[in-house]
Amino acid sequence: MGTFIQQMFNGLTVGGIYALIALGYTMVYGVMRLINFAHGDLCILGAFVGLTFITSFGGGGHLGAAMVIFAFVAAVLVVAAAGVLLELAAYRPLRKADRLAAVVSALGASMLIENGIMLVWSPQVSVFPSGLLPTTTYHIAGASISFVQVMIIAVSFVLMAALYLFVNHTRFGTAIRAAAIDQDAARLMGINVNRVIASVFVIGPALGAVGGLFVGIYYREVYFTMGWTYGLYAFIAAILGGIGNIPGAMIGGILLGLFNAFAAGYLSSSWQDAITFALLIGILLVRPTGILGERVAEKV
Amino acid sequence: MQNLATKYGGALLWIVGLGLPLALNDAWVAIAAMFAIYSVVALSEDIILGRGGMFDMGHAVYFGIGAYVTGILNVNYGWPIFATMPVAMLLAAAVGALLAGPLIRLRGDYLLVASIGFNAIFVLAMQNNLLGLTGGSDGVAGLDIPRLFGFQLASQNSMFWLDWVVLGLVILLMNNLDRSEFGRTLRYLKQDELAATMIGVDPRKAKTLAFALGAAVAGLAGTLFAVQLSTVSPSSFVFTESVTLFAIVIVGGQGSVPGVLLGTALMFVLPEVFRGLAQYRYLVFGFAMILVMVLRPQGLWPRRRARA
Amino acid sequence: MTALLELRNLGIRFGGLRAVNDLSFTIEPGQIVALIGPNGAGKTTAFNMITGVYKPTEGQVLFAGRDMTGNPPYRIAGAGIMRTFQTIRLFSDMSVLENVRAGCHLRVRQSWWQGLLGLPVQRREEKALTERAHEILHRLNLDQFAHELAVALPYGVQRRVELARTLAADPKLIILDEPAAGLNDNESAALSQSIFSIRDKGITILLVEHDMNVVMNVADKIVVINFGEKIAEGLPDEIRNDPRVIEAYLGRDDEEEIS
Ligand SMILES: Nc1ncnc2c1ncn2[C@@H]1O[C@H](COP(=O)(O)OP(=O)(O)O)[C@@H](O)[C@H]1O
Ligand SMILES: [Mg+2]
Repeated sequence: MGTFIQQMFNGLTVGGIYALIALGYTMVYGVMRLINFAHGDLCILGAFVGLTFITSFGGGGHLGAAMVIFAFVAAVLVVAAAGVLLELAAYRPLRKADRLAAVVSALGASMLIENGIMLVWSPQVSVFPSGLLPTTTYHIAGASISFVQVMIIAVSFVLMAALYLFVNHTRFGTAIRAAAIDQDAARLMGINVNRVIASVFVIGPALGAVGGLFVGIYYREVYFTMGWTYGLYAFIAAILGGIGNIPGAMIGGILLGLFNAFAAGYLSSSWQDAITFALLIGILLVRPTGILGERVAEKV
Repeated sequence: MQNLATKYGGALLWIVGLGLPLALNDAWVAIAAMFAIYSVVALSEDIILGRGGMFDMGHAVYFGIGAYVTGILNVNYGWPIFATMPVAMLLAAAVGALLAGPLIRLRGDYLLVASIGFNAIFVLAMQNNLLGLTGGSDGVAGLDIPRLFGFQLASQNSMFWLDWVVLGLVILLMNNLDRSEFGRTLRYLKQDELAATMIGVDPRKAKTLAFALGAAVAGLAGTLFAVQLSTVSPSSFVFTESVTLFAIVIVGGQGSVPGVLLGTALMFVLPEVFRGLAQYRYLVFGFAMILVMVLRPQGLWPRRRARA
Repeated sequence: MTALLELRNLGIRFGGLRAVNDLSFTIEPGQIVALIGPNGAGKTTAFNMITGVYKPTEGQVLFAGRDMTGNPPYRIAGAGIMRTFQTIRLFSDMSVLENVRAGCHLRVRQSWWQGLLGLPVQRREEKALTERAHEILHRLNLDQFAHELAVALPYGVQRRVELARTLAADPKLIILDEPAAGLNDNESAALSQSIFSIRDKGITILLVEHDMNVVMNVADKIVVINFGEKIAEGLPDEIRNDPRVIEAYLGRDDEEEIS
């Protein structure tokens, strides 16, 4: 029972992070039908920006909660700006081109950001200082859950709820959903599709930056190639939920986090990635549009 | 519709390349040999991606199978290198056909993602020393020198010739593919699958065959790769390698032999040339990928020139 | 004599929508049959079921006496049914000649490895196929466009290219979905002529068409459907005067179109 609860909380923590990152993939895919391969790297950029902020202004010792919050704000701002720039420079010129051109542009952007991080920060692992946050541990039925875990779970759920409300209950959210269904129709209805796309490149990376900084705070270290690993997992989560579908990305993220935690708890860890990918392929075959995605028949 | 330059450009580049060993020192001949090997893999990826229109982002699997077959048969069982070649091709083709089963049931981006998955599973299987044959993370080392009719292909130059001849044969194969019903069938499917089935194309058969053929050629390149490095390890076949192959085809120009060769030169040789830039080179490289796509979305040397 | 094509109580549902219901009719070899009905009546859907694009939820499709229901499209094409599309679907990257040669796919005997090796027998076949494609272009008066990019040509020409592609396969039955849509008067008249000359080569034709001049002119038999169900079947003259057809299909304002 103890292990079960422990793995559940571990899974929810990682799942919350996956979900935050997955939202960026799914929103971009929904509106542009583009796998933004650079998204994972943007998220890890957030972790590095946050880290710099903490180390240069924190000066060691016990840092106030305010410092951590500022670090998040800085990460979100920088990464959102990078997201907008990315869209303008690498994707907007390719909107009418073969979709694979944009995919390769995204791959190039990923390489650019990844190596940019390596040059600006470090080719080695960067360690987050200890004592950033309270080290309180809660004991529940034999499982120990840290304050950081509780914080990550709580914040990611609050952010997801906020995004859900924004997308479903505001005019601009409706515009985003409309553009996701049919860009041309949305344009004819007077929706400014460029603004929708730009906003998606603000919201997605902003949430992703929070996710990335969570990765750093949770594991207490970041590395410039982590964007690939986390990006790929988050992307898988987005597909599991139904790519393009916002609640789907949330559910997919949480489920993947839980699945990995239990797979790691009960199965061989050296095959863990293989198991995750096997799950992914299996789900794609049984239900190619993911858990929440809808099937659309091609009309002839 | 293909223009003449694209049709014969590949052959032309190949002939020019024959002169390379005369102009280069050993280190550069080794790079030229690697260029030939990667060109073969990239052309084989082009069969599936550029011609077949299937977003295969796991092509390193078939390349890897070829390399491992040669490595294992040669090192563990003492097979001569050239004897391992057909086995490498056949096994790669068989795996290609097998994976095509589930892959071609998926469309577009879903196929892409599933093929990434297969790549990841393949690398883990090699790292975890599948069947006790693949040597785990270290791989298989100590391959023999290829021998042909009593000659040892030991020098870097002779290795280059071997790779260059294979590249020439594969270019020939691609040109024949263009002029054959099978090659056209892939283009019908890529451009309009529904219209293709209405003229009698069996999509499953054609796509499976494309995967098998692409995998077989990649497997052949795998043999050459194993020989060139005289060792085979999982890190050469990770998913980022597949990403590079994918990018080569798109950056170079889908379905265009000279395009794919240029793409290979850009994505593979250029980073070698810019070794002096040390850690900046991949930054430059990523930037170049964006730049090429933005300026030439059809690739560096597209199959067909866009009409004004 | 068995019918060339027989639909038996054919039906399909999309979710709650019965797009086609209990549709039965037959086509004899050498006949020209028109399927007409208002927009959304289910004509294209019926074609899609015949050609295997959609699997019918009820009923059967028999071709030359053989049950073909639910066969994949390429098998149905292999049995000798070729079609055109309501929205033209030419291969966008190919010339007119290449598009028409695509229609020869089923006549190709070379196997893939012969092609890869470029064997003489394969080269000969390639030549023969190209010649055949040229012949068909000539028959449909398309010679001067042979090397043009097909999708860059005027609409009327593209329609003819699509027709040429179906003929290249030497089919038993061709199915044309609104072949006169978007054509001018001259072009429609020419189309009627082409349809006759195709039939004279022994090919049976089923078409959907809104242009009543074309339909009344070419059809040996007309089947009318509305809301997915057959409401009338008969000779052009019978259909012209059938009150149900006038009511359901032609509506009140469009009546002059029929006479
Ligand atoms: N793939 C599909 N999914 C859902 N509804 C469809 C599909 N194909 C056709 N329909 C519906 O079936 C009905 C008949 O359409 P169609 O056969 O195209 O009519 P038409 O007689 O104009 O050719 C329409 O209501 C159409 O919306
Ligand atoms: Mg219709």
